[in-house]
Amino acid sequence: MTQTFNPDLDLTISRLIKAPRSAVWNAWTDKASFEQWWIPAPALCRVAAMDIRPGGAFETQMSENGGDFGPHLSACFLAADNQERIVFTNALTGGWRPAEQPFMTAIITFKDHPQGTEYLAHVMHKSPEDRKMHDELGFFDGWGTVIEQLAKLVERQH
Amino acid sequence: MENYSSELDGLFQALADPTRRAVLARLGHGSASISDLAEPFDMALPSFMKHVRFLEESGLIRTQKQGRVRTCTLERARFAMLENWLSEQRAIWEARTDRLEQLVLAKQEFLRHEQKQETGR
Repeated sequence: MTQTFNPDLDLTISRLIKAPRSAVWNAWTDKASFEQWWIPAPALCRVAAMDIRPGGAFETQMSENGGDFGPHLSACFLAADNQERIVFTNALTGGWRPAEQPFMTAIITFKDHPQGTEYLAHVMHKSPEDRKMHDELGFFDGWGTVIEQLAKLVERQH
Repeated sequence: MENYSSELDGLFQALADPTRRAVLARLGHGSASISDLAEPFDMALPSFMKHVRFLEESGLIRTQKQGRVRTCTLERARFAMLENWLSEQRAIWEARTDRLEQLVLAKQEFLRHEQKQETGR
């Protein structure tokens, strides 16, 4: 499988994590661990489905204020190679069912490194018109927080 | 420049309210009428209309009246003023990876500590 990289639509995050591959893999695939890092605090994350195998459902929900959980990511796993690779897309939902609003595919790879694990996230996005789109993904996950902080800053200056 | 920064201030103020952010997120999925938008919120319509007007004045949405129905649409170009989309996505994934790394390292530390306790006995 050749992976192509489109600089206008894709991003890669590469990180050396000084821990064994199994530890990084477990933090990704254990629901309780995953919930702790997927969404920035103080918002809460709940994993509604994480069936890590091709066609398996991947659903996360979020609560902004500790109240009701709303939809966050609704996706489908495309590939799952134990301790090596996870691929998922929100172009599909569980069982390969086409989704309403396709947006991205993420390829996560875990490689051994003398000092621990080389973690790589390659995220591919759909098309230029999507780049202006803020669905919950882009809007709340980080963006909302950043805006909130900026707003507070702006308010203090007034 | 002065004008640009006051426009930005307006945008940030518009986005500093959870009701207004929820309205924008909803409009991210497509245009909607005021009554549909107001439905999830437990507030009087005049109060909700204030939020809509605020969003309209900041240029984040536009509204159009047809007959008795006023429809709101997200003004996507406006968001471009605030950020470059891809760099925003990058920031999200960077922060996510930071948190993953912190969690893994904290767990490793905990395990090492446990092992020390075991062997220390």
